[in-house]
Amino acid sequence: MKRGELLGSLEYIVLLALVRLGGSAYGLLVLREIAARTGRNLSIGAVYGTLERLEEKGYISSSTGEPTPERGGRAKRLFQLEAAGQRALQISDQTIRSLTAGLKSRRESL
Amino acid sequence: MKSSSPPRVPCWLLEFVLPVSYRREMLGDLIEEYNLRTHSSSALKSSLWFWGQTCRSVPSILWSLLRNGDWFTRLMTAFGVFLAMVILRCSAGAAVSKLIAPGEITQVVLAPIVSLVTTAIGGCVVARIRREATVFLALLVLVSVAVLIAIKICTTPVPWWYEFGFLTLGPTSVLVTPAVVWSLRPPTKRVVEYK
Repeated sequence: MKRGELLGSLEYIVLLALVRLGGSAYGLLVLREIAARTGRNLSIGAVYGTLERLEEKGYISSSTGEPTPERGGRAKRLFQLEAAGQRALQISDQTIRSLTAGLKSRRESL
Repeated sequence: MKSSSPPRVPCWLLEFVLPVSYRREMLGDLIEEYNLRTHSSSALKSSLWFWGQTCRSVPSILWSLLRNGDWFTRLMTAFGVFLAMVILRCSAGAAVSKLIAPGEITQVVLAPIVSLVTTAIGGCVVARIRREATVFLALLVLVSVAVLIAIKICTTPVPWWYEFGFLTLGPTSVLVTPAVVWSLRPPTKRVVEYK
């Protein structure tokens, strides 16, 4: 496994939120999903910074939606998970599984 | 749904700091959530939420600007402007000491004003040339002030808050002044940019 293939914690959370939302999701929906599922109150800047980084890595792609009046005439940026992102998630899942395998009894005794 | 206007200052700040790639979209998200919140809670609470999101977002945006993109060009731009600022600051300092206030105490009083004006000008110039380089200039100012304090360049005894003021207000002036100048531009130009 290459070093860059392992996701950071925020990248992992954001990618999982995108999977949960399915199809196309935009930054605000990702922020709400993370808050609802994890209780983590992230800033929108942190979410967009992570999404931008994931897009640069080729894990997700984005397209522009229609502008609406509720958004002050600004369009949404819709993000989709790509095959590389799916693979990065699998690698991270696998890494966590192999590192935590057989540790349950030891962690309980701590 | 009827949309209401979010607080202007954080909008200006975000318009200034955010990279072009997601500036409009992220602001749109914030405005959408703000409008939703104004319907379920008070305008004050919604404004506080908007301010909170802005204040918490700016550091992570600046950090991602430092991490990503063409940082070498940005650093070189910032360094060029920084050198020009040093020349301007030294010339202004020399002019003040010779023409206006030869006394050391008066210079201690005038130094923050001269420095703030210089950093403000530097911030505006670098934002004009390459907006993404502003954060690098702020960092250069922060480091240079810290070094000057560490080597005790000021021989006159000054209180801690005087040095702390230099350390915080210098970089802040580099970041905030261009945003304020931008917000003071005629609204017609801004509307064109929003569209």
